Amino acid sequence: MTIHAVRTASDAKDLPATEWAAAQPAQLSLTPVPLEAQPNAYIRTTWADRAYGTVQEVRVAATCDDGRFHVRLEWEDPAAEEGEFGDAAAVFFPADTDAPAHTIGADGHPVTLWYWRSTNSAAQVVEASGPGVFRPVAVTGATSVGVVSALSGGRWSVVFNGPLSLLEPARKLGVVVWNGTNEERAGLAAVTAAWVPVELPD
Amino acid sequence: MTSVLRPEEGSRGQVAMVFDLNKCMGCQTCSVACKVLWTREEGEKHQWWMTVNTQPGSGTPKDWETMGGGVERGGKPLPGHQPTRADFGGGWDFNYQEVFYGGKGSSVHLRPEENGATSWGMNWDEDQGGGEWPNSFYFYLPRLCNHCTRPVCAEACPNGSMYKRREDGIVLRDEDMCMGFRFCMEACPYKKIYFNYARNVAQHCIFCFPRLERGVAPACARQCPGRLAFVGMLEDQEGPIHRLVHEWRVALPLHAEYGTGPNIFYVPPLSPYRLHEDMTIDYETPRIPPAYLESLFGPNVHAALATLKQELDTVRQGGTSEILDTLIAYKWQSLFGPFTVDPGELDGNAVPVALTTKPT
Repeated sequence: MTIHAVRTASDAKDLPATEWAAAQPAQLSLTPVPLEAQPNAYIRTTWADRAYGTVQEVRVAATCDDGRFHVRLEWEDPAAEEGEFGDAAAVFFPADTDAPAHTIGADGHPVTLWYWRSTNSAAQVVEASGPGVFRPVAVTGATSVGVVSALSGGRWSVVFNGPLSLLEPARKLGVVVWNGTNEERAGLAAVTAAWVPVELPD
Repeated sequence: MTSVLRPEEGSRGQVAMVFDLNKCMGCQTCSVACKVLWTREEGEKHQWWMTVNTQPGSGTPKDWETMGGGVERGGKPLPGHQPTRADFGGGWDFNYQEVFYGGKGSSVHLRPEENGATSWGMNWDEDQGGGEWPNSFYFYLPRLCNHCTRPVCAEACPNGSMYKRREDGIVLRDEDMCMGFRFCMEACPYKKIYFNYARNVAQHCIFCFPRLERGVAPACARQCPGRLAFVGMLEDQEGPIHRLVHEWRVALPLHAEYGTGPNIFYVPPLSPYRLHEDMTIDYETPRIPPAYLESLFGPNVHAALATLKQELDTVRQGGTSEILDTLIAYKWQSLFGPFTVDPGELDGNAVPVALTTKPT
Protein backbone atom coordinates (compact mmCIF):
# COMPACT_ATOMS: atom_id res chain seq x y z
CA MET A 1 0.00 0.00 0.00
CA THR A 2 1.37 3.36 -1.02
CA ILE A 3 0.11 6.81 -0.20
CA HIS A 4 0.08 8.99 -3.30
CA ALA A 5 0.39 12.62 -2.34
CA VAL A 6 -0.97 15.16 -4.79
CA ARG A 7 0.30 18.66 -5.29
CA THR A 8 -1.90 21.53 -4.24
CA ALA A 9 -1.54 25.16 -5.06
CA SER A 10 -3.07 26.39 -1.86
CA ASP A 11 -3.26 25.48 1.77
CA ALA A 12 -5.21 22.26 2.16
CA LYS A 13 -5.38 22.19 5.92
CA ASP A 14 -8.94 23.38 6.26
CA LEU A 15 -11.88 20.98 6.40
CA PRO A 16 -13.56 20.39 4.03
CA ALA A 17 -11.25 21.48 1.23
CA THR A 18 -11.78 20.94 -2.42
CA GLU A 19 -8.08 20.19 -2.79
CA TRP A 20 -8.62 16.87 -1.07
CA ALA A 21 -10.86 15.64 -3.88
CA ALA A 22 -7.84 14.75 -6.01
CA ALA A 23 -6.06 12.91 -3.22
CA GLN A 24 -6.83 9.21 -3.45
CA PRO A 25 -6.99 7.85 0.11
CA ALA A 26 -5.23 4.66 1.11
CA GLN A 27 -6.97 2.27 3.48
CA LEU A 28 -4.38 1.13 6.04
CA SER A 29 -4.72 -1.72 8.53
CA LEU A 30 -3.71 -1.05 12.10
CA THR A 31 -2.50 -3.53 14.68
CA PRO A 32 -1.97 -3.21 18.46
CA VAL A 33 1.52 -2.17 19.49
CA PRO A 34 3.01 -5.40 20.92
CA LEU A 35 2.52 -5.86 24.65
CA GLU A 36 6.10 -7.08 25.11
CA ALA A 37 7.37 -3.81 23.63
CA GLN A 38 5.53 -1.68 26.19
CA PRO A 39 8.06 0.32 28.18
CA ASN A 40 7.56 -0.91 31.74
CA ALA A 41 6.29 -3.72 33.92
CA TYR A 42 3.35 -1.73 35.20
CA ILE A 43 1.87 -1.26 31.74
CA ARG A 44 2.71 -4.80 30.60
CA THR A 45 1.15 -6.26 33.74
CA THR A 46 -1.98 -4.18 33.94
CA TRP A 47 -2.81 -4.50 30.24
CA ALA A 48 -1.85 -8.17 29.82
CA ASP A 49 -5.46 -9.29 29.82
CA ARG A 50 -7.01 -6.21 28.36
CA ALA A 51 -7.55 -5.43 24.67
CA TYR A 52 -6.09 -2.24 23.26
CA GLY A 53 -5.30 -0.91 19.84
CA THR A 54 -8.96 -1.28 19.07
CA VAL A 55 -9.11 0.93 15.97
CA GLN A 56 -8.42 -1.46 13.11
CA GLU A 57 -8.38 0.74 10.03
CA VAL A 58 -7.49 4.27 9.07
CA ARG A 59 -7.92 6.06 5.76
CA VAL A 60 -4.95 8.22 4.82
CA ALA A 61 -4.74 10.86 2.11
CA ALA A 62 -1.93 13.32 1.50
CA THR A 63 -1.21 16.50 -0.37
CA CYS A 64 1.78 18.76 -0.53
CA ASP A 65 2.84 22.13 -1.77
CA ASP A 66 6.31 23.56 -2.08
CA GLY A 67 7.20 23.40 1.56
CA ARG A 68 4.41 21.73 3.50
CA PHE A 69 3.07 18.21 3.71
CA HIS A 70 -0.60 17.72 4.52
CA VAL A 71 -1.92 14.37 5.67
CA ARG A 72 -5.50 13.51 6.49
CA LEU A 73 -6.43 10.59 8.76
CA GLU A 74 -9.99 9.29 8.94
CA TRP A 75 -11.35 6.47 11.07
CA GLU A 76 -14.61 5.21 12.46
CA ASP A 77 -15.35 6.00 16.10
CA PRO A 78 -18.94 5.15 16.97
CA ALA A 79 -18.47 5.75 20.73
CA ALA A 80 -20.20 8.84 22.02
CA GLU A 81 -17.78 9.26 24.93
CA GLU A 82 -14.07 9.83 24.51
CA GLY A 83 -13.20 9.06 28.12
CA GLU A 84 -10.71 10.73 30.43
CA PHE A 85 -7.85 10.69 27.93
CA GLY A 86 -9.66 11.60 24.76
CA ASP A 87 -9.13 10.14 21.31
CA ALA A 88 -5.76 10.75 19.71
CA ALA A 89 -3.83 10.11 16.53
CA ALA A 90 -0.39 10.69 15.13
CA VAL A 91 1.49 10.39 11.90
CA PHE A 92 5.17 9.65 12.30
CA PHE A 93 8.36 9.62 10.27
CA PRO A 94 11.69 7.84 10.80
CA ALA A 95 14.36 9.97 12.43
CA ASP A 96 16.84 7.14 12.09
CA THR A 97 17.33 4.70 9.21
CA ASP A 98 16.74 1.69 11.47
CA ALA A 99 13.73 3.09 13.32
CA PRO A 100 10.97 0.47 13.54
CA ALA A 101 7.36 1.43 12.77
CA HIS A 102 5.45 -1.22 14.72
CA THR A 103 6.83 -0.05 18.07
CA ILE A 104 6.81 3.69 17.22
CA GLY A 105 10.58 3.85 17.24
CA ALA A 106 13.02 2.17 19.57
CA ASP A 107 15.78 3.09 21.99
CA GLY A 108 18.46 4.76 19.88
CA HIS A 109 16.25 4.63 16.80
CA PRO A 110 13.72 7.40 17.22
CA VAL A 111 10.82 8.55 15.10
CA THR A 112 9.20 11.98 14.93
CA LEU A 113 5.48 12.22 15.63
CA TRP A 114 2.95 14.81 14.71
CA TYR A 115 0.65 14.16 17.63
CA TRP A 116 -2.95 15.24 18.05
CA ARG A 117 -5.27 14.75 21.01
CA SER A 118 -8.95 15.56 21.02
CA THR A 119 -8.45 17.25 24.40
CA ASN A 120 -5.94 19.73 22.92
CA SER A 121 -6.51 22.21 20.14
CA ALA A 122 -2.89 22.21 18.97
CA ALA A 123 -0.67 19.49 17.57
CA GLN A 124 2.55 18.51 19.32
CA VAL A 125 5.82 17.43 17.77
CA VAL A 126 7.17 14.48 19.71
CA GLU A 127 10.28 12.36 19.47
CA ALA A 128 9.47 8.73 20.22
CA SER A 129 11.97 6.02 21.13
CA GLY A 130 9.41 3.30 21.66
CA PRO A 131 5.76 2.88 22.61
CA GLY A 132 4.89 5.83 24.80
CA VAL A 133 8.54 6.77 25.25
CA PHE A 134 7.71 10.24 24.04
CA ARG A 135 9.66 13.44 24.44
CA PRO A 136 8.03 16.72 23.37
CA VAL A 137 10.10 18.71 20.91
CA ALA A 138 9.96 22.49 20.83
CA VAL A 139 9.27 23.76 17.32
CA THR A 140 8.79 27.20 15.83
CA GLY A 141 8.10 28.80 12.50
CA ALA A 142 8.66 26.62 9.47
CA THR A 143 9.07 23.46 11.55
CA SER A 144 5.77 23.91 13.35
CA VAL A 145 2.88 21.54 12.86
CA GLY A 146 -0.78 22.48 12.52
CA VAL A 147 -3.83 20.33 12.94
CA VAL A 148 -7.54 20.56 12.21
CA SER A 149 -9.95 17.92 13.46
CA ALA A 150 -13.64 17.14 13.22
CA LEU A 151 -15.86 14.37 14.56
CA SER A 152 -18.94 13.88 12.43
CA GLY A 153 -21.30 10.96 12.10
CA GLY A 154 -19.09 8.69 14.18
CA ARG A 155 -16.03 9.40 12.06
CA TRP A 156 -12.92 11.34 12.99
CA SER A 157 -11.15 13.41 10.38
CA VAL A 158 -7.79 14.85 11.42
CA VAL A 159 -5.59 16.84 9.06
CA PHE A 160 -1.96 17.56 9.96
CA ASN A 161 0.24 19.98 8.12
CA GLY A 162 3.95 20.23 8.71
CA PRO A 163 7.29 20.65 7.01
CA LEU A 164 7.68 18.53 3.88
CA SER A 165 11.37 18.27 4.68
CA LEU A 166 10.58 15.78 7.45
CA LEU A 167 9.01 13.34 4.99
CA GLU A 168 11.36 13.79 2.08
CA PRO A 169 14.47 11.86 3.18
CA ALA A 170 12.76 8.48 3.60
CA ARG A 171 9.40 9.15 1.94
CA LYS A 172 7.55 6.85 4.32
CA LEU A 173 5.34 7.27 7.33
CA GLY A 174 3.47 5.41 10.03
CA VAL A 175 0.12 6.08 11.69
CA VAL A 176 -1.00 5.60 15.30
CA VAL A 177 -4.55 5.87 16.61
CA TRP A 178 -5.61 5.84 20.27
CA ASN A 179 -9.18 5.00 21.30
CA GLY A 180 -9.90 7.24 24.28
CA THR A 181 -13.02 5.31 25.25
CA ASN A 182 -10.75 2.34 25.97
CA GLU A 183 -8.30 4.49 28.01
CA GLU A 184 -5.68 4.05 25.30
CA ARG A 185 -2.67 6.34 25.57
CA ALA A 186 1.13 6.20 25.35
CA GLY A 187 2.09 2.87 23.74
CA LEU A 188 -1.38 1.41 24.16
CA ALA A 189 -2.45 2.11 20.61
CA ALA A 190 -3.12 0.78 17.14
CA VAL A 191 -0.27 1.30 14.70
CA THR A 192 0.68 0.56 11.12
CA ALA A 193 2.79 -2.59 11.49
CA ALA A 194 5.24 -1.48 8.78
CA TRP A 195 6.34 1.75 7.19
CA VAL A 196 3.97 3.01 4.49
CA PRO A 197 5.69 4.43 1.39
CA VAL A 198 4.66 7.90 0.30
CA GLU A 199 4.91 8.87 -3.35
CA LEU A 200 5.40 12.57 -3.86
CA PRO A 201 4.39 14.34 -7.08
CA ASP A 202 7.11 15.47 -9.47
CA MET B 1 13.79 -2.00 33.73
CA THR B 2 15.44 1.37 33.45
CA SER B 3 16.34 2.82 36.84
CA VAL B 4 14.23 5.72 38.02
CA LEU B 5 17.12 7.05 40.09
CA ARG B 6 18.67 10.23 38.76
CA PRO B 7 21.28 11.23 37.99
CA GLU B 8 22.72 7.76 38.52
CA GLU B 9 22.31 4.57 40.50
CA GLY B 10 22.41 4.64 44.26
CA SER B 11 21.12 7.11 46.77
CA ARG B 12 23.15 9.24 49.10
CA GLY B 13 20.29 9.56 51.51
CA GLN B 14 16.58 9.76 51.99
CA VAL B 15 14.77 12.76 53.31
CA ALA B 16 11.88 11.76 55.56
CA MET B 17 9.22 13.08 57.88
CA VAL B 18 7.59 11.91 61.08
CA PHE B 19 4.17 13.15 62.14
CA ASP B 20 3.21 12.72 65.78
CA LEU B 21 -0.53 12.09 65.46
CA ASN B 22 -1.02 12.70 69.16
CA LYS B 23 -0.34 16.37 68.53
CA CYS B 24 -2.31 16.91 65.33
CA MET B 25 -5.41 19.04 65.89
CA GLY B 26 -6.61 19.05 62.30
CA CYS B 27 -6.16 22.78 61.87
CA GLN B 28 -5.11 22.45 58.20
CA THR B 29 -2.37 25.04 58.58
CA CYS B 30 -0.02 22.62 56.81
CA SER B 31 -2.51 22.15 53.96
CA VAL B 32 -2.95 25.89 53.52
CA ALA B 33 0.78 26.60 53.79
CA CYS B 34 1.37 24.18 50.92
CA LYS B 35 -1.60 25.45 48.93
CA VAL B 36 -0.47 29.06 49.15
CA LEU B 37 3.06 28.18 48.13
CA TRP B 38 2.58 25.63 45.35
CA THR B 39 -0.92 25.15 43.93
CA ARG B 40 -2.38 28.50 43.02
CA GLU B 41 -1.70 28.39 39.29
CA GLU B 42 -4.02 27.44 36.45
CA GLY B 43 -5.43 23.93 36.77
CA GLU B 44 -4.35 23.59 40.39
CA LYS B 45 -7.43 24.77 42.20
CA HIS B 46 -8.48 21.26 43.25
CA GLN B 47 -4.93 20.25 44.14
CA TRP B 48 -3.90 19.89 47.78
CA TRP B 49 -0.49 18.26 47.88
CA MET B 50 -0.77 18.27 51.67
CA THR B 51 -4.03 17.13 53.20
CA VAL B 52 -5.33 16.35 56.66
CA ASN B 53 -8.22 13.95 56.99
CA THR B 54 -10.28 12.62 59.84
CA GLN B 55 -9.81 8.92 60.53
CA PRO B 56 -11.74 6.72 60.15
CA GLY B 57 -13.02 8.28 56.97
CA SER B 58 -13.05 8.17 53.21
CA GLY B 59 -10.26 10.74 52.94
CA THR B 60 -9.05 12.34 49.77
CA PRO B 61 -9.48 11.33 47.05
CA LYS B 62 -12.65 9.69 48.25
CA ASP B 63 -12.05 6.06 49.27
CA TRP B 64 -8.43 6.21 48.13
CA GLU B 65 -7.55 3.11 50.13
CA THR B 66 -9.70 1.01 47.78
CA MET B 67 -8.11 2.25 44.56
CA GLY B 68 -5.24 -0.21 44.26
CA GLY B 69 -1.72 0.30 42.99
CA GLY B 70 1.53 -0.49 44.79
CA VAL B 71 3.36 -3.78 44.54
CA GLU B 72 2.61 -7.30 45.69
CA ARG B 73 5.03 -9.34 47.82
CA GLY B 74 6.94 -10.71 44.85
CA GLY B 75 7.57 -7.19 43.60
CA LYS B 76 5.05 -7.31 40.78
CA PRO B 77 3.24 -4.00 40.24
CA LEU B 78 -0.45 -4.07 41.07
CA PRO B 79 -3.05 -2.39 38.89
CA GLY B 80 -4.54 0.76 40.28
CA HIS B 81 -7.45 3.07 39.64
CA GLN B 82 -6.80 6.60 38.47
CA PRO B 83 -8.66 8.95 40.82
CA THR B 84 -10.88 11.29 38.87
CA ARG B 85 -11.50 14.96 39.32
CA ALA B 86 -14.76 14.05 41.07
CA ASP B 87 -12.95 11.68 43.45
CA PHE B 88 -10.86 14.63 44.65
CA GLY B 89 -13.77 17.07 44.57
CA GLY B 90 -13.37 20.66 45.72
CA GLY B 91 -11.76 23.42 43.72
CA TRP B 92 -15.04 25.21 43.27
CA ASP B 93 -15.60 28.67 41.89
CA PHE B 94 -18.01 30.75 43.94
CA ASN B 95 -20.43 33.45 42.78
CA TYR B 96 -18.49 36.21 44.50
CA GLN B 97 -19.14 38.68 41.68
CA GLU B 98 -22.89 38.20 41.86
CA VAL B 99 -23.11 38.45 45.64
CA PHE B 100 -20.55 41.11 46.42
CA TYR B 101 -20.58 43.30 43.34
CA GLY B 102 -23.76 42.45 41.44
CA GLY B 103 -26.27 44.17 43.68
CA LYS B 104 -27.78 40.88 44.84
CA GLY B 105 -26.12 40.62 48.21
CA SER B 106 -29.41 40.42 50.07
CA SER B 107 -31.18 38.03 47.71
CA VAL B 108 -28.57 35.57 46.48
CA HIS B 109 -26.64 33.14 48.64
CA LEU B 110 -22.94 32.59 48.22
CA ARG B 111 -22.66 29.18 46.57
CA PRO B 112 -20.37 27.12 44.35
CA GLU B 113 -21.10 27.86 40.73
CA GLU B 114 -20.86 24.23 39.61
CA ASN B 115 -24.26 22.95 40.67
CA GLY B 116 -24.24 19.30 41.61
CA ALA B 117 -20.44 19.08 41.78
CA THR B 118 -20.15 19.72 45.48
CA SER B 119 -20.40 16.14 46.65
CA TRP B 120 -16.83 15.77 47.91
CA GLY B 121 -13.80 17.80 48.87
CA MET B 122 -10.39 17.41 50.44
CA ASN B 123 -11.74 17.54 54.01
CA TRP B 124 -15.36 16.61 53.37
CA ASP B 125 -15.86 14.14 56.22
CA GLU B 126 -14.12 16.19 58.88
CA ASP B 127 -14.69 15.05 62.46
CA GLN B 128 -17.19 12.33 61.53
CA GLY B 129 -14.84 9.56 62.61
CA GLY B 130 -16.10 6.21 63.89
CA GLY B 131 -17.74 4.44 66.78
CA GLU B 132 -20.97 5.20 68.64
CA TRP B 133 -21.55 7.55 71.54
CA PRO B 134 -20.22 7.46 74.19
CA ASN B 135 -17.37 5.63 72.50
CA SER B 136 -17.12 7.60 69.30
CA PHE B 137 -13.55 8.42 68.26
CA TYR B 138 -11.46 10.06 65.61
CA PHE B 139 -8.01 11.39 64.94
CA TYR B 140 -6.33 13.36 62.19
CA LEU B 141 -4.01 12.02 59.54
CA PRO B 142 -1.83 14.45 57.58
CA ARG B 143 -0.76 13.05 54.22
CA LEU B 144 1.60 14.10 51.47
CA CYS B 145 3.59 12.22 48.85
CA ASN B 146 5.56 9.49 50.61
CA HIS B 147 8.61 9.90 48.33
CA CYS B 148 8.80 6.14 48.40
CA THR B 149 11.96 4.11 48.37
CA ARG B 150 10.39 2.19 45.51
CA PRO B 151 8.48 4.88 43.62
CA VAL B 152 6.03 2.83 41.58
CA CYS B 153 4.70 6.06 40.12
CA ALA B 154 8.03 6.71 38.43
CA GLU B 155 8.37 3.07 37.41
CA ALA B 156 4.99 3.24 35.69
CA CYS B 157 5.84 6.40 33.76
CA PRO B 158 6.45 5.40 30.14
CA ASN B 159 8.77 8.22 29.16
CA GLY B 160 10.89 8.67 32.27
CA SER B 161 9.57 12.11 33.12
CA MET B 162 9.35 11.01 36.77
CA TYR B 163 12.42 10.16 38.75
CA LYS B 164 13.81 9.82 42.25
CA ARG B 165 16.71 12.14 42.72
CA ARG B 166 19.82 10.67 44.10
CA GLU B 167 20.89 13.30 46.57
CA ASP B 168 17.89 13.12 48.89
CA GLY B 169 15.40 10.61 47.48
CA ILE B 170 12.76 13.19 46.58
CA VAL B 171 10.47 11.95 43.81
CA LEU B 172 10.06 14.57 41.12
CA ARG B 173 8.58 15.04 37.68
CA ASP B 174 9.95 16.99 34.74
CA GLU B 175 6.76 18.79 33.78
CA ASP B 176 8.19 19.73 30.41
CA MET B 177 8.45 16.03 29.60
CA CYS B 178 5.23 14.83 31.21
CA MET B 179 2.75 13.77 28.53
CA GLY B 180 -0.23 13.49 30.86
CA PHE B 181 -0.64 9.72 30.47
CA ARG B 182 -1.38 9.34 34.18
CA PHE B 183 -0.01 5.85 34.79
CA CYS B 184 1.66 7.40 37.83
CA MET B 185 -1.76 8.23 39.27
CA GLU B 186 -2.88 4.64 38.81
CA ALA B 187 0.27 3.09 40.22
CA CYS B 188 0.57 5.29 43.33
CA PRO B 189 -1.24 3.38 46.09
CA TYR B 190 -1.52 6.50 48.24
CA LYS B 191 -3.27 8.48 45.47
CA LYS B 192 -1.32 11.64 46.16
CA ILE B 193 -0.84 12.62 42.53
CA TYR B 194 -3.15 15.14 40.90
CA PHE B 195 -3.83 15.94 37.28
CA ASN B 196 -3.68 19.46 35.93
CA TYR B 197 -6.31 19.46 33.19
CA ALA B 198 -5.34 22.94 32.04
CA ARG B 199 -1.69 22.07 31.44
CA ASN B 200 -2.09 18.34 30.76
CA VAL B 201 0.49 17.30 33.33
CA ALA B 202 0.35 15.31 36.54
CA GLN B 203 1.58 17.08 39.67
CA HIS B 204 2.44 16.14 43.23
CA CYS B 205 4.28 17.23 46.37
CA ILE B 206 7.91 18.12 45.66
CA PHE B 207 8.91 18.06 49.34
CA CYS B 208 9.57 21.80 48.96
CA PHE B 209 12.94 20.92 47.45
CA PRO B 210 13.87 24.49 46.53
CA ARG B 211 13.49 25.33 50.23
CA LEU B 212 15.25 22.17 51.33
CA GLU B 213 18.24 22.93 49.11
CA ARG B 214 18.67 26.17 51.02
CA GLY B 215 18.29 24.65 54.45
CA VAL B 216 14.62 25.55 54.95
CA ALA B 217 12.11 22.93 56.10
CA PRO B 218 9.08 22.22 53.87
CA ALA B 219 6.26 24.73 54.34
CA CYS B 220 3.83 22.18 55.78
CA ALA B 221 6.22 21.27 58.57
CA ARG B 222 7.56 24.75 59.20
CA GLN B 223 4.06 26.24 59.54
CA CYS B 224 2.65 23.49 61.77
CA PRO B 225 1.56 25.19 65.00
CA GLY B 226 1.35 21.85 66.80
CA ARG B 227 5.03 21.09 66.21
CA LEU B 228 4.18 17.57 65.19
CA ALA B 229 6.18 17.31 61.99
CA PHE B 230 9.82 16.24 62.03
CA VAL B 231 11.98 16.65 58.93
CA GLY B 232 15.41 15.17 58.37
CA MET B 233 17.50 12.52 56.73
CA LEU B 234 16.42 9.01 57.60
CA GLU B 235 20.03 7.83 57.79
CA ASP B 236 21.09 10.49 60.31
CA GLN B 237 21.52 8.23 63.30
CA GLU B 238 21.66 11.13 65.72
CA GLY B 239 18.55 12.75 64.29
CA PRO B 240 15.06 12.35 65.75
CA ILE B 241 13.64 10.62 62.67
CA HIS B 242 16.10 7.75 62.70
CA ARG B 243 15.67 7.32 66.43
CA LEU B 244 11.85 7.46 66.32
CA VAL B 245 11.62 5.09 63.36
CA HIS B 246 14.50 2.66 63.77
CA GLU B 247 15.75 2.90 67.34
CA TRP B 248 12.59 3.40 69.40
CA ARG B 249 10.22 2.11 66.70
CA VAL B 250 7.39 4.38 67.72
CA ALA B 251 6.99 5.93 64.25
CA LEU B 252 5.52 3.70 61.56
CA PRO B 253 4.80 3.94 57.85
CA LEU B 254 1.22 4.16 56.61
CA HIS B 255 0.04 1.05 54.80
CA ALA B 256 3.45 -0.55 54.57
CA GLU B 257 1.69 -3.48 52.90
CA TYR B 258 1.42 -1.40 49.74
CA GLY B 259 5.05 -2.39 49.24
CA THR B 260 6.53 0.91 48.11
CA GLY B 261 8.61 1.80 51.16
CA PRO B 262 7.03 5.10 52.16
CA ASN B 263 9.29 7.65 53.84
CA ILE B 264 6.62 9.49 55.79
CA PHE B 265 6.14 7.98 59.24
CA TYR B 266 3.53 8.40 61.95
CA VAL B 267 3.57 8.16 65.73
CA PRO B 268 0.21 6.40 66.22
CA PRO B 269 -2.49 8.02 68.34
CA LEU B 270 -3.05 6.98 71.91
CA SER B 271 -6.65 7.14 72.99
CA PRO B 272 -8.81 7.32 76.09
CA TYR B 273 -10.45 4.18 77.39
CA ARG B 274 -13.89 3.00 76.36
CA LEU B 275 -16.89 3.55 78.60
CA HIS B 276 -19.18 0.78 79.77
CA GLU B 277 -22.93 1.17 79.32
CA ASP B 278 -23.14 2.42 82.91
CA MET B 279 -20.54 5.05 82.00
CA THR B 280 -17.82 3.48 84.13
CA ILE B 281 -14.41 3.26 82.51
CA ASP B 282 -13.29 0.07 80.77
CA TYR B 283 -9.59 0.22 81.54
CA GLU B 284 -8.92 -2.79 79.34
CA THR B 285 -10.06 -1.31 76.03
CA PRO B 286 -8.82 1.78 74.24
CA ARG B 287 -11.39 3.96 72.49
CA ILE B 288 -9.65 3.68 69.12
CA PRO B 289 -9.86 -0.01 68.18
CA PRO B 290 -6.32 -1.45 67.98
CA ALA B 291 -7.41 -3.46 64.96
CA TYR B 292 -8.24 -0.25 63.15
CA LEU B 293 -4.82 1.22 63.90
CA GLU B 294 -3.23 -2.03 62.76
CA SER B 295 -5.10 -1.71 59.47
CA LEU B 296 -3.34 1.61 58.93
CA PHE B 297 0.07 1.18 60.53
CA GLY B 298 0.59 -2.58 60.56
CA PRO B 299 1.08 -5.06 63.40
CA ASN B 300 3.99 -3.12 64.92
CA VAL B 301 1.52 -0.45 66.02
CA HIS B 302 0.75 -2.41 69.20
CA ALA B 303 4.37 -2.40 70.31
CA ALA B 304 4.70 1.28 69.42
CA LEU B 305 1.68 2.18 71.52
CA ALA B 306 2.93 0.02 74.39
CA THR B 307 6.26 1.85 74.29
CA LEU B 308 4.54 5.22 74.37
CA LYS B 309 2.35 4.20 77.31
CA GLN B 310 5.35 2.88 79.17
CA GLU B 311 7.20 6.13 78.62
CA LEU B 312 4.20 8.10 79.86
CA ASP B 313 4.03 5.96 82.98
CA THR B 314 7.72 6.51 83.60
CA VAL B 315 7.33 10.28 83.46
CA ARG B 316 4.18 10.20 85.60
CA GLN B 317 6.18 8.40 88.22
CA GLY B 318 8.80 11.11 88.21
CA GLY B 319 11.19 9.59 85.71
CA THR B 320 12.44 10.99 82.43
CA SER B 321 11.83 9.89 78.88
CA GLU B 322 14.06 10.69 75.94
CA ILE B 323 11.28 9.55 73.60
CA LEU B 324 8.72 11.92 75.08
CA ASP B 325 11.21 14.78 75.27
CA THR B 326 11.92 14.24 71.58
CA LEU B 327 8.23 14.18 70.71
CA ILE B 328 7.46 17.25 72.80
CA ALA B 329 10.11 19.20 70.85
CA TYR B 330 10.75 21.91 73.43
CA LYS B 331 12.66 23.88 70.79
CA TRP B 332 11.29 23.97 67.28
CA GLN B 333 14.78 23.65 65.82
CA SER B 334 14.92 20.11 67.13
CA LEU B 335 12.19 19.16 64.63
CA PHE B 336 14.04 20.01 61.47
CA GLY B 337 17.59 18.68 61.74
CA PRO B 338 19.70 20.42 59.08
CA PHE B 339 16.72 22.40 57.74
CA THR B 340 16.36 25.18 60.32
CA VAL B 341 17.18 28.20 58.15
CA ASP B 342 14.61 30.99 58.44
CA PRO B 343 13.16 31.56 54.96
CA GLY B 344 12.86 35.25 55.80
CA GLU B 345 16.61 35.51 56.06
CA LEU B 346 17.38 34.09 52.63
CA ASP B 347 18.88 36.24 49.93
CA GLY B 348 15.91 37.06 47.75
CA ASN B 349 18.14 37.50 44.73
CA ALA B 350 19.57 34.04 44.88
CA VAL B 351 18.68 32.01 41.83
CA PRO B 352 16.40 29.14 42.79
CA VAL B 353 16.88 25.73 41.30
CA ALA B 354 14.65 25.20 38.27
CA LEU B 355 11.52 23.43 39.34
CA THR B 356 10.96 21.29 36.30
CA THR B 357 14.38 20.42 34.97
CA LYS B 358 15.43 16.83 35.17
CA PRO B 359 19.10 16.39 36.06
CA THR B 360 21.17 14.59 33.47
